This record gives sequence, C-alpha cells and structure tokens, in this order.
Amino acid sequence: MTPRLVEVRQRVLNKNDMAARALRERFTRAGVCVISLVSSPGSGKTAFLERVLTCMRNRFRVAALVGDLATDNDAMRLARSQAPVKQICTGTICHLDASMVERALEDWDLNELDFLFIENVGNLVCPSSYDLGENARAVLLSVTEGEDKPLKYPTIFQSAAVAVITKMDLAEAVEFPLEVAHANIQRVRPGIPVFNVSTKAGTGLPELVEWFTAQKTALSALR
Amino acid sequence: MHELSVALSIVEEAEEELSRQGGAHVSAVHLKLGFLSGVARDALVFSFGLACAGTALEGSELVIEESGGTELEMSALEIET
Repeated sequence: MTPRLVEVRQRVLNKNDMAARALRERFTRAGVCVISLVSSPGSGKTAFLERVLTCMRNRFRVAALVGDLATDNDAMRLARSQAPVKQICTGTICHLDASMVERALEDWDLNELDFLFIENVGNLVCPSSYDLGENARAVLLSVTEGEDKPLKYPTIFQSAAVAVITKMDLAEAVEFPLEVAHANIQRVRPGIPVFNVSTKAGTGLPELVEWFTAQKTALSALR
Repeated sequence: MHELSVALSIVEEAEEELSRQGGAHVSAVHLKLGFLSGVARDALVFSFGLACAGTALEGSELVIEESGGTELEMSALEIET
C-alpha cells in the first residue's frame, strides 16, 4: 500500500518556540527585561556578566541564570556580585533551551526583578537555533579570538540584537584590527549596535548599561 | 553539533502528528532545511537514523529540500496505515 502524504508545515523547534513565547509573555507581564549572552567558550562572558551585575545592582534588581555542561563554577563567580544567580547544568547538551530556563525560574518571583541575564553555554553554533524568550540576545567576541569570527559563524551574529567586543585591554597586545572586526560584524548583521568593552578596566560598560536600560524602557512601553 | 536534539524534536513532533492523523508508521519525513538554519545536513541525516530507532518512525526516510533562508520546517509526512 502506498503511504499517504500529509502536509504538515510545522517548524521543527515548534515546541521550543512555544515555550519561549510563553516565557516572553511572562517576562513582559512581570516587567523584567531579559538579555541573553552568547559567545564561544573563553570569550569572557562570565567576567563580563559579573561586572555588569555589580554595576547595575545599585540601580536595578538584577539576577542571572548561567548554563554550562557541568560544574557550578560560573554561578559561584557570579554570586560574588551579590545578585541572585542560578546555575543550569545541561549535562551533555550544547545549548540552553526554553524549557531549561522555565524550570530554572520555577521558584523565582519575576515581579521582583528588573533585569534577568541568561548566560548561554559557550558555543557559537547551536544556541542560535533556540529562542529562550529573551528580549535581546547579546553576542560577545573577544579580541583574542580574531576579527573574522563573525564571517565564520554568521548565524549567531544574525540572531543577535547587540554585539560586544570584549577584552579590549588586550587589543593592542594582540594587534586586534578593531575596524576590520566592526566591518565584519556589519557585513553579516547590518545595523547592529557594537560596544567595545574592557571588563577589566570598565571601559565601554556605562554605554552598554545605557543600551540595556533603553531595552527595558522600550519593554515598559509595551505593557 | 545539536543535530541530535533537532532529530529528536522531529521524531517527537512527527509522532504527535501521526497520532492526530491516525496511522501506524511514518515512512518518510519531508523537511525544508535552510542554509542559515545552523543545522548541518549530513549530521542531521545521521542523527535522524538514531532518533527513529524504536519509534513509529523506525526505518523512515528523511527527504530534505534545501533552501536559502533560516527554515527548519517539517513540510510533510508520509504515513502508512
């Protein structure tokens, strides 16, 4: 017997998209602005986030979720900022998905927060396919990685709302061609705002925090 | 790298569709796969074979239509009763 052909037309990650949509609605209702961070391993996400949490917690109620395959090292580092932090261990999975975020938030009251940061697993490939319900995705690129990363991994840059070049204090030592890096980012994701940051020196952070704040203001206008 | 997760999602969603439509077995899954989806064709085909084992999709074929965008869409199923 010939099989019958049934038209489906359904996005494969439909389940994740639906879970992400539900999260986004919850975030909007609670008035919490959610920023996710993606980058390759070792680009300085955790150090950056620790500094951002420390900078912002005087003015805002901030919290963070952090994803890794194993260990709670990052959560312990981020907890030094005094902000509430929770580790998500993915086991062998190379990315966070919306259901992991949902589970991690189970015992948190979102109404108590202004900003929630979600640090994804260090990976420039897989996280790009998974919507976490965030308001904005920030992609980080450190000067030690090379200025052609955006050309090599275009998908993750295309999915981001803002790009951050980290470890700017090392730029001179590694002869990082900043203008080329900016041009490469614009080539794969035209119009994206880019911030040059040194977590160590604190440069570029106030401007970025302003950008985060503007996202929150835009979100409040939606409520 | 995450193709196994994607393959497992395809199997899960195809099985749900099968129970909605009625039928015993899915013999083929038609998939629209965008160049910018972040999913590698070969790795997905390999993972799909593993993900189908022991399910109503066992032995089914993954028919891929490549496209230029970010699509990752199950366009149709071939169902045997």
